[in-house]
Amino acid sequence: MAPLKSLERDYPIIDSEFQHFCAFHGIFTVEDFLIHDLNALVMFVWKQPNSERLKQGIDQICFLLESMHRPWLNGVALLKDAQQNKQNKHVFSIGNEGIDSFLHDGLREGRVIELVGPSSSGKTQVCLRAAASVAKLCEGGVVFLDTGNSFSVHRIACFVSQNSNSTSIEGSHETFEKVMSNISCCRVYDIFGLLDVLHQLECKLKCEMQAGDHLVRLLIIDSLSSLITPILGGGGPNGHALMISAGFLLKKLAHEYSLCVLVTNHMVGGEGGLPKPALGESWKGVPHVRLLLSRDHRASNGYSFSMLKY
Amino acid sequence: MEVMRLPISVSQRKKLVSAGYTSLSALSSASPSDLARDLEISEVAAHEILKVASHGSRLDKSDGNKAILTGAQNAWDMYKEDLHTRITTSCTDLDNILGGGISCKEVTEIGGVPGIGKTQLGIQLAVNVQIPVQYGGLEGKAVYIDTEGSFMVERALQIAEGCVEDMMENNNIRPRDLQVIQDKLQPKSLLANIFYFRICSYTEQIGVVNYLEKFVSEHKDVKIVVIDSITFHFRQDFEDLALRTRVLGGIALKLMKLAHNFNLAVVLLNQVTTKYAEGSYQLTLALGDTWAHASTNRVILYWNGNERYAYIDKSPSLPSASAPYSVTVKGIRNSASNCKRIKLM
Repeated sequence: MAPLKSLERDYPIIDSEFQHFCAFHGIFTVEDFLIHDLNALVMFVWKQPNSERLKQGIDQICFLLESMHRPWLNGVALLKDAQQNKQNKHVFSIGNEGIDSFLHDGLREGRVIELVGPSSSGKTQVCLRAAASVAKLCEGGVVFLDTGNSFSVHRIACFVSQNSNSTSIEGSHETFEKVMSNISCCRVYDIFGLLDVLHQLECKLKCEMQAGDHLVRLLIIDSLSSLITPILGGGGPNGHALMISAGFLLKKLAHEYSLCVLVTNHMVGGEGGLPKPALGESWKGVPHVRLLLSRDHRASNGYSFSMLKY
Repeated sequence: MEVMRLPISVSQRKKLVSAGYTSLSALSSASPSDLARDLEISEVAAHEILKVASHGSRLDKSDGNKAILTGAQNAWDMYKEDLHTRITTSCTDLDNILGGGISCKEVTEIGGVPGIGKTQLGIQLAVNVQIPVQYGGLEGKAVYIDTEGSFMVERALQIAEGCVEDMMENNNIRPRDLQVIQDKLQPKSLLANIFYFRICSYTEQIGVVNYLEKFVSEHKDVKIVVIDSITFHFRQDFEDLALRTRVLGGIALKLMKLAHNFNLAVVLLNQVTTKYAEGSYQLTLALGDTWAHASTNRVILYWNGNERYAYIDKSPSLPSASAPYSVTVKGIRNSASNCKRIKLM
């Protein structure tokens, strides 16, 4: 937290006298202010000659703190919110009916969905399909964050031009162009780059929400685990902290801006030789839905889904 | 805590947090001398931290740009560009299943049992990347990183000669063009365009991957990087497997970034190991499950009877297929059997 003197510029009530008074009680930063007993401080204030000004200073800081935390909601308000949103919350088709019915009609807004699976089980294909489907059917913007150069424009073009039942050629070309322009791809190659991109996206979405548009609908990160694997473990909890802060940032983006977030993860060997999802136990609680993909070697080109967590 | 997302060292971050600087706005109002005093570090280091922080907060301000993110590209623009150039492998069957050859901007991993022809394929690609543009090549240079010592210059010369011969034969080159090309395409000058690094330990391997970015920005016409093989130094005597996974993950990301930023192809050659799956021992590529996700494409080379086959195991845009190939005096060529059909899985 900033030292108190940096607040002086914006809030002149917090002048040097006030800072002197606080320093006398060992309060140098806003953090110190928070952990100090405010009642005791107010008692001291009344004993001072310029008590009115000091009290105003304390009130000002309290007001600033109030405006920074989230409002409390009670159960009734939450229920009303949920019922209203049931009409408004959109569900996006992932492009395949089987998977849609598995997910109760598709990708829900405000959720973080994780696709787990061994190598070559189809995770990237599902992501590309979802991107094409959302861009085409829901006409929403899609942001694809690619860590492994696996964003294939031709595959997306293939999915988009499938089932297009437009009669004229120019019309279909125009819609093709419009749909393709809805998909943006950004390459990230390290966790700090990812955090920068997510913060940038958050600022952009905040502006858009104030303006009333709702441009981005789906955020895909393929694959999150390859960014986190180099930093997880080893000396110190630093990697863990970065992983969890990335996870919470994704949940915040999904909830506040009504996005659907799709991430992919890989598998590692677990106990008894059975594979388990990577990124460990602490990551388990972050996504809302976890889907396990696997390749059926017996049937050619067969893939299967199973639900790990809903 | 916003300070978490700054790419600075762990000790500096700890000092920042304990001195009370936990948000970017707190850092933006601090001067380098104040910061140096509070953190007990040099002014230069404080200046670096402030530079990184201001870069972070500058990205946060939205600039009313039409693009959703700076650095993002539209799928429509990418579709129109379509700059995915490919490097031929000199075997048409193999090129067909690869969609034209090894593609640039992607990391391709090729693995197989010993003796199947991985090094031969690596050398062939390092030679083929230098084919002039008018004959279907990229006219670029190659970087060959050898960890096993299996690169033989005499064999490379043979392959280069074979490549030149085939090129002259297939393209019906006119006599006056022949003179011009002859100078450019002497087998020796083809060898001169292969930059060779010999690596003797895993730390050297990490070092050379870190150095590659600087090297490639100085030699702008490098179009392919072949690492033969990526496994060798990570397999024997590596006790800490968790460290191995982290190191390999880091290497994979750096190679991806290199492939994309400089528009070159990265080819990694890998060895095989056995894995117990579904009740039987199966042959899989080495280095574990996490490494399996590190490359964009995976090709597995295997024996089928007396023939060598290549199988696409993982690819974002190509279907699974296998094709035969053979290793001849001139290098990798089409298999000489009668059955030339590509088997689709």
